[in-house]
Amino acid sequence: MINKKQYKSFSTGTLVAVGLSITGLYSEAIATDKPFETVDPVTTVNNKHDHKLMEGGCGSNMRMDIKGMVMNENKTELPKDCEKISEDITIKVQAGTEFANQYPGTVFGFDEHQWQVKPCSRITVEFNNKDETRHQWMVHGLPKYLYPKGMFHIEVNGLESKTGTFIVPSSHFTYLVHCDIAQHMEKGMKAQIRVGNGRGDLPSIPGISAPTFSDIF
Amino acid sequence: MDRCKLIFHICTLLLICSHSFAYQQTAKTEDSFLGLVEPFCPKTVIPEWRDTHKIENITIAPSPICNPDNPYNIAAFVKGTNNISMATMMSTQLSADTLVKTNDIDGDGDPDEIHIRLEVIELNGFSPDLKDPVTTYNIAPGIQPGFWAFAPKSRGMSNESFASTKANPLLRLPSPSIRVEQGDKIIITLENSHYFPHSIHFHGVDHPFQKANGDGNDGVPQTSNKLTMPGKLVSYELTPRQTGTMVYHCHVQAHTHILMGLIGMFIVEENRPNNWLQTFNVGAGFVRHSSQAVKEQYSQEYDLQYQDIDRELHNLIQQGNDSRLLAKAFNRNYNITERTPDYFILNGRSFPYTLRESLIVIKPEEKIKLRVFNAGDQQLALHTHGFKPTATHFDGIKLRPEAQIQRDVFTLGPAQRVDLELYAHNDGLNNMGAGIWTYHDHNELGVTTDGIYPGGHISSVVFDSFLGPEGMPKLQGVDVSPFFTKEFYQKKYPVWNLSDDNRLYGNVAETAANITAKEQNSIAFDSNQIIILILQIFLLLITIYFLRKHSKKSDD
Repeated sequence: MINKKQYKSFSTGTLVAVGLSITGLYSEAIATDKPFETVDPVTTVNNKHDHKLMEGGCGSNMRMDIKGMVMNENKTELPKDCEKISEDITIKVQAGTEFANQYPGTVFGFDEHQWQVKPCSRITVEFNNKDETRHQWMVHGLPKYLYPKGMFHIEVNGLESKTGTFIVPSSHFTYLVHCDIAQHMEKGMKAQIRVGNGRGDLPSIPGISAPTFSDIF
Repeated sequence: MDRCKLIFHICTLLLICSHSFAYQQTAKTEDSFLGLVEPFCPKTVIPEWRDTHKIENITIAPSPICNPDNPYNIAAFVKGTNNISMATMMSTQLSADTLVKTNDIDGDGDPDEIHIRLEVIELNGFSPDLKDPVTTYNIAPGIQPGFWAFAPKSRGMSNESFASTKANPLLRLPSPSIRVEQGDKIIITLENSHYFPHSIHFHGVDHPFQKANGDGNDGVPQTSNKLTMPGKLVSYELTPRQTGTMVYHCHVQAHTHILMGLIGMFIVEENRPNNWLQTFNVGAGFVRHSSQAVKEQYSQEYDLQYQDIDRELHNLIQQGNDSRLLAKAFNRNYNITERTPDYFILNGRSFPYTLRESLIVIKPEEKIKLRVFNAGDQQLALHTHGFKPTATHFDGIKLRPEAQIQRDVFTLGPAQRVDLELYAHNDGLNNMGAGIWTYHDHNELGVTTDGIYPGGHISSVVFDSFLGPEGMPKLQGVDVSPFFTKEFYQKKYPVWNLSDDNRLYGNVAETAANITAKEQNSIAFDSNQIIILILQIFLLLITIYFLRKHSKKSDD
């Protein structure tokens, strides 16, 4: 019943795949600020969880209890472009609907939507949820050889808090921080970490940048 | 240096390869209207999930359909997230406190205090950063109306991954069926994870108006409860004395919130010893772990939830992001008196996706229980080919034996339920023999998708002798490929095309003469060609770059 016609797009598909893999390599090189040859093969990911409390599936490292979870915590392993930790910094983040007040039209929020850190700094995040429902503080785009799926993630249940630590690489970059519960990022729970000079602002961050697609009033 | 050379050679090779692929323009026949045909069964389905499983000492019945429920979820739903191993937990995306089962009060071998946590999720909602909706959920090829649904409290991302905007499989329609045991102490907590206020009303379920502490327990803003605002939670408590197929739904702005998807089945099962229930049936459909009372009479049990969708309502969440504008759009601009439904879903999908998830697979002489629920706003006229089922319960209440009638069309108004007995006894009355017997809405509006037939409320009862690999029925009618394309429901495809050898019913506009005329009048840009061209230019630039670098270094 499956018609052969679905394979018609094969040649285009292949080309797009080739193109994407090239641009993929390229963007990875940008993200790590390194030439192509230093990008780690995918196979080195996912082998670093022997000492962790619990494995979170798909190679992720997870600490989980009734309060919530911390995923891919990293207190000790240096990104390979860092010789040492440049500074230890602690950021205290509060999350909840009460922080949406100052940005009309949003419903969820963090008390701050931007953090500035030095390259190679070790960041300890104390994430404090002021709502009665679940929220997340999730960073994307970290090097995958240290952080499965390039992600560091704290999730806490209502009125709970959790602390986790991770180390950023040396490159000047702007990392996305958000809550990935459906519509929480869109409705205000979006922030950024600027490492060094950063790399511009991400769009639609409350108080910082405009959305790509604005509402029509 | 060597590395540079290598990259240069790779680029050259790619450039040559790409050239051989280039400019293979698709033939301009009528068939070219048929876009990408999705496979009957997606490759992402895990085939092993169809087998019988024994997880956490719970037996999970086989489910031979294309897309079965995750058996690890079933084990968690039966045992409770507090009574399973971490390994099982990690095979689900549930939170540690999604479902806590404790306290065997009557000492009959099953837990009698059940804590259930639900969240409210939005599917196919707006993104201020992307052109397309996010946390996506397709009801049919290419069709993504906005929805709200209750979901078991989950952990981690709502999207499948950072690279994908697809909803994780726990987040879907319909809101999950919930099963509890008669006499159990049930505490249901709604964690309002959505940006609008919501509530839960237990429709037809035995529950007190107030909780012991005097707080409201009926979920109705006008009479019993304050609004549960975003980021807040509310708990409801009930100890149902009566059994039956009942309903739960949001009662805030009920004229839109129910229709947006905040409605599901709430089933109170008869009390039996050692009766470990599958508390959630995500996506409704086949119940892989039925209650003791159901097993006494039936070999299988299915939940069938029917809904209808007015695109104008569901698309509101895709048109803006500002919570004030959204509230105005839902509460003041949308006019339900002008409502006309466009899509019809059975267990969250329209035909042909219903064939992946809502097939009823039966053997001769089997007796199956169907719980049918009309959660839409239109009348449902459910007709079964090849069977005359017997109604055993209306709105959850058991009918006297003489009132248990057999029909071939059962009509349900909004919110009504009927429990049916489907008996594969080939006597010409109960059943007419083996086959692939379709069951569908006989309200003809209900068997379309945006006015295109076949779509909507259509699925099939399939005898096991007619079931092929991957849960695909051994169909012997027309080629169903067109139904698995977006283009079919975008009205681009001549419906009889694949049977139409003599081209009696093709598109008039696409005759050879027309094509030639069009080509003469306009410069045709083929999107494939443009992509190929861009890629080639890109490769060329890289090649030139490395060539230069290489030659510079050679000069040095």
